[in-house]
Amino acid sequence: MSQSHKDILKLEGVSKFYRTRGNRYRRGGGTVVALSRVNLSLRPGEIFGLVGESGSGKTTAGRLVVRLEEPDEGRITLDGVDITHLKGGGLRDYRRKVQMVFQDPYQSLNPQMTIADAVAEPLITNKVGDPADRLERVLGVLDTAGLSPAEDFIYRFPHQLSGGQRQRVAIARAIVLEPSLLVADEPTSMLDASYSAQIFEILQGVRDQMGATIIFITHSMAAARYLCDRIAVIYHGHLVEQGPAEAVINSPSHPYTKALIDATPKFGRCEGVPTYGTYLPAPRPAGEQAGCPFFQRCALAERLLCSATYPEWRQVAGEQVCLCHFAAEGGQSPPPPEECRLGG
Amino acid sequence: MALLKVENLSIGYRTAGGMLKAVDGVNLSLEEGRSLGLVGESGCGKTTIGMALMGLLPPNGSITGGRIVLDGVEISALDEEELRKVRWSQVAMIFQAAMNALNPVIRVSAQMTEAIRTHRPDMDEQAIMQRVEGLFNLVGLPLERLHDFPHQYSGGMKQRAIIAMALALNPKLIIADEPTTALDVIVQDQILKETKVLQEQFDIGIIFISHDISIVAEVCHDIGVMYAGQLVEAGPAQEVFFNSKHPYTRALVGSFPTLAGPKSKLTPIPGEPPNLIGAIPGCRFCDRCPKDTASCKLEPPKWQEINERHWVLCDHC
Repeated sequence: MSQSHKDILKLEGVSKFYRTRGNRYRRGGGTVVALSRVNLSLRPGEIFGLVGESGSGKTTAGRLVVRLEEPDEGRITLDGVDITHLKGGGLRDYRRKVQMVFQDPYQSLNPQMTIADAVAEPLITNKVGDPADRLERVLGVLDTAGLSPAEDFIYRFPHQLSGGQRQRVAIARAIVLEPSLLVADEPTSMLDASYSAQIFEILQGVRDQMGATIIFITHSMAAARYLCDRIAVIYHGHLVEQGPAEAVINSPSHPYTKALIDATPKFGRCEGVPTYGTYLPAPRPAGEQAGCPFFQRCALAERLLCSATYPEWRQVAGEQVCLCHFAAEGGQSPPPPEECRLGG
Repeated sequence: MALLKVENLSIGYRTAGGMLKAVDGVNLSLEEGRSLGLVGESGCGKTTIGMALMGLLPPNGSITGGRIVLDGVEISALDEEELRKVRWSQVAMIFQAAMNALNPVIRVSAQMTEAIRTHRPDMDEQAIMQRVEGLFNLVGLPLERLHDFPHQYSGGMKQRAIIAMALALNPKLIIADEPTTALDVIVQDQILKETKVLQEQFDIGIIFISHDISIVAEVCHDIGVMYAGQLVEAGPAQEVFFNSKHPYTRALVGSFPTLAGPKSKLTPIPGEPPNLIGAIPGCRFCDRCPKDTASCKLEPPKWQEINERHWVLCDHC
């Protein structure tokens, strides 16, 4: 894509720290770095994947974007407007434009509210329309979220729905205000594998029909490949690789991205598939604070360089960039044979 | 002789709405040292089968028909006292939520010795401790963490401790119920590979329960696909996966994304599984099936042989 487009959302040098509490036995509290100087920019109408394991900071990033939390450093802008420290009415207006789908639909829906009430709640809070108008909108978004006929669902309670249906209600609730940005935090990880495809389809529909930009947070490389235009891989609060989804997955450049691909289940005739082997099963002693975030687990790290110096972003190919001292341009790996399937 | 034979097993739960047939006429057999994956969505009865194999059905659940034979002993006919002897020494279980399967206020070492002490009164404390240390080495846990409390462990370490406990008495059969769902991709991969190595090393039979067919296909020799309380397709893993016959299996395979190959469109499975309270005359999948015909709704499907080891419960395959 050219430079002519305008980024919808920008994170500039965003960091978030959590203080841990001390107790009787462990004196004093420490600081946990959940996100460290993260730069991201999202283009309008794209589905952007944030991939990493639990504890990598991907959920924190999502929570900062919807402003459930405030960053400790850096700046977040939506359409050029600084929203980093919005409060009161400004924040309320912002939340009309930015919505979130949470991981666990068994916890994110109020068990005492009917589906109609739950989905209409954002409309009431924001004083949108009259009751008849609201009902019409609720029926409309339930339909978009794949719950049809919508009339069958509106008077039910969450416990009468399956996990997949609940998650679709949660999506309906998030899109009822027609947000321009939707953050979906592992929307399929609590669901059966057979439901994920439905959720993916609905998210694509939300993007195509409503023109919303979506941040899709996931631990699954396969899901990211299927759904996302671009992805960023995050490790311990640091972004380590970023680029078009297909490029990052077919020819990963960062050792951690390679490790994630190694860990994906494989079956079929997979003899020709590269095993990168870039992940140390047991961590090596920590390097200096300033060193590479992946140093302890990286099989390729060089003691002096990687333990002491924070790597710089390097361009690998086109838009693919990688935070590694050893990232080289090119380095295409051959595509795996057709019969080999990698999934998960 | 097969290590485990499940014959025409039916299990029901008494509920306020009536008898819920969670498992209906399931036949399974497992040879020593082989692994069988049970796949299906939640509510298909796969965990219920696992619990029945351990004799751990909840109070409102009971075996309503058929039998379970483990190594020549009919488990389904044993009383509670006899079951206690078989449980853990012959058949052990790796539970779904490793986080919750360990007692948070008892040190890991004490939890591990407990099972051995109960079943092996002949072993003295020193021998038990040696055994526990051996198990720790086996699953790759550092010995200096032996006396920690569970909360001091990471998720992967807890799962390793659970696996070590399952191996403690050299069982012939291990039931692994979604052992890696709560874990990260990288840890999941490590645990799966280690389980496979241990299984081959000790010739243990494993029943691997999961909703993720890609994991099962990687780990298991054979796959049984379950739908609404019935087994609908069974055979060698590669066969069932690449040459799936039952429309439900095909839908399962087609509904998850892959990392390689063409980025084909995923095919979501429409609808929801049927309510298992009350009788279902015809095929249970017919409401969601692309091949649905008039006779499917009325007549129960029959088992068709694809080849000697690959079977499918569908009249139109």
